[in-house]
Amino acid sequence: MKEKRFAIVVSLLLVFTLLLSACTATVPAAPAPQTGGGEAAPAPAANIKIGLVTDVGRVNDRSFNQSAWEGVKQAGTALGLTEGDGFKYIETQDSKDYADNIQQFVDAGFNVIVTVGFALGEATTKAAKENPDTYFIGIDQFQGEALPNLTGLVFHEDQSGFLAGALAAQLSKTGTIAAVLGTDLVPPVVAFGTGYELGAKYINPDITVLTTYHPGEISQAFVDPEWGAATAKQALDQKADVIFGAGGSTGNGALQEVAAAPGAGTDVFCIGVDTDQWETLPAAHPCLVSSAMKLITPSVIDLINNYAASGTMTSGNYFGGAGLAPFHDFEDKIPQEVKDKLDEIAAGLADGSLTTGYQP
Amino acid sequence: MNASSLRRIGQMLLIPILAVFTALVVGALVMWIFGDDPLAAYRGLINGAFGSARAWSTTIRKMTPLILTGLSVAVAFKAGLFNIGASGQFIIGTVCSVAVGINFPGLPAFIHLPLALLAGIAGGVLWGFIPGALKVFTGAHEVIVTIMLNYVASLFAGWTVYAGGTQGQTPGPLWDTAAGPISRTPEVFESARIPWIFGDPYRIHWGVALALLVALLMWWIIFKTTLGFATRTVGANNKAARYAGINVKWITILTMMIAGGLAGLAGAIETLGLNHRFAPEFTGGVGFDGITVALLGQTNPLGVVLSAFLLGALDAGGARMQFDSGVAADIIQVIQALVLAFVAAPMIIRQLYRLRKPSDQVEATVFSSGWGR
Repeated sequence: MKEKRFAIVVSLLLVFTLLLSACTATVPAAPAPQTGGGEAAPAPAANIKIGLVTDVGRVNDRSFNQSAWEGVKQAGTALGLTEGDGFKYIETQDSKDYADNIQQFVDAGFNVIVTVGFALGEATTKAAKENPDTYFIGIDQFQGEALPNLTGLVFHEDQSGFLAGALAAQLSKTGTIAAVLGTDLVPPVVAFGTGYELGAKYINPDITVLTTYHPGEISQAFVDPEWGAATAKQALDQKADVIFGAGGSTGNGALQEVAAAPGAGTDVFCIGVDTDQWETLPAAHPCLVSSAMKLITPSVIDLINNYAASGTMTSGNYFGGAGLAPFHDFEDKIPQEVKDKLDEIAAGLADGSLTTGYQP
Repeated sequence: MNASSLRRIGQMLLIPILAVFTALVVGALVMWIFGDDPLAAYRGLINGAFGSARAWSTTIRKMTPLILTGLSVAVAFKAGLFNIGASGQFIIGTVCSVAVGINFPGLPAFIHLPLALLAGIAGGVLWGFIPGALKVFTGAHEVIVTIMLNYVASLFAGWTVYAGGTQGQTPGPLWDTAAGPISRTPEVFESARIPWIFGDPYRIHWGVALALLVALLMWWIIFKTTLGFATRTVGANNKAARYAGINVKWITILTMMIAGGLAGLAGAIETLGLNHRFAPEFTGGVGFDGITVALLGQTNPLGVVLSAFLLGALDAGGARMQFDSGVAADIIQVIQALVLAFVAAPMIIRQLYRLRKPSDQVEATVFSSGWGR
């Protein structure tokens, strides 16, 4: 009996954790009417139907997936579509299901399909080749060879990292700043990190930048807040006083560690990534001076509107906006000359008179 | 077939069927609480699993590795061992088969493919031998060792394909030099791929036939051979087995090796038939699902095939369910977890449906033997 009980306990533990994780995360999405695979009622705007396939993770992840879905939602609503019928999403459970999930939308006659994330690149390219009449938008998917019906929505992460570095170097009093980053296996993360270093050195060539990439695989690198917090702690111990956290919840762990450190907001500061993390990570408010953003939502809206207005599919790569988020509560604490310098750099990067020096 | 054996089969099927049914009902309840429409969800699920030729093909594709990882866990249960390591054995099998598959260009397919499959099996066998031997010679419990080896396997596999990064680290030995910053292996040579039964868009390969054959073979070994009898005896009561002159140590090690080999074969088939390469995001999740499959199949190889089919269908239908009804596909995991809970704790089901205890508990399923024997 003892033996059996052990097996049961193990199984029940397993079950319990599965249940917990599943329950807390279930999205209360409105039940949608069955579309039945064929053409539904004629949509007001040129019969557009927009589908979105997330990377493994939630559509309300306060990061990538959510920003993209916001874009789809706003563009769809502006076009007079309704959620469920005119635009909807599928959350990917397993990285092997990318192709199947894209196919669901193709089968149901969706003509604009947005796929979120670097990892879906291959499946998206394949689907785009098989369905030349469907317009695909691949977020963070750099297109080596251009397909007529596929836009790779990419960003100059090095530029927004550069601005973050320039801000950090101007705020630092110790002459040491740090970056806690997701894996160097993902090129945009490296662009953020390298841009940050270059931006800091642009302001102060003698500054020490402690750059640490998560050592694990892609599957762990963005979901390891403990590692992020521990690495941020180490950086603080080494006298870093501005820390850039870039890498999903791993980076968030770093930001939260800094927010809880003594002197947060007066002596030590942190900078977020991807979205304006002031909105998405309230726990970081004590130290969060700004975020190095990629403007996913407006770029998605632009691309969809372009297609809806003229039927043009943007081929190749489309560079979305990148820049710093507002300072929020730190608006008054940041000296005017720092802001002026950042504006000057942003203008230089925009008109090409200044380059970050980042080589992909 | 006489009446009593029919009744026994009925009794064996009763708990799994009721467990699945109850899990579906509770799953519906959960959906209803969250304001979703369970009927629409289940309609979508069935459509996604069986509604079209493509749906059927997805079900079969998802079922194939589950048969083998389910067998892996089930065979170990027969000897009273709890193999939580199917996940790691699966990954090692994948890596070994890929290592053969991306090397040796120009080998004819009738040598290259079997060689790659055997490499996968061998990797799994090794990954099963370690916990088996440690249990026998040091008393280390196989649950702990296999869990640890899962981490070793997945980190080792990650290292083999590591792209090197920007800090000048050495890339892994199996990394695809043409993949740039992406960590993955190149595709295996055509000669090492399992041929399609139905190609694109159905993507069903002969691996499914191989998996079914292996299930039959395992059924035969377990129930019709001396080795199988010895294994079952060790599982039922290892002291009695030793008294009867069975070499318990050898059987323990051998069973873990067979279990590992089955999971390794699952990895090899999944790779050589479907993915054609390894990348770190291909995890050994089917190894853990193998536990559910084995328990739901009452650790009987033929039962394992049935339950792998059912779980494969649940996995296959998830995307369509989400698409049609807007219910998050996580509910599939909830249902699978409930199935596991109910088959692992049959008392719940017995209480719920006021079933009497089976009169002849001779062949009661042995799940796992105890700590430090």
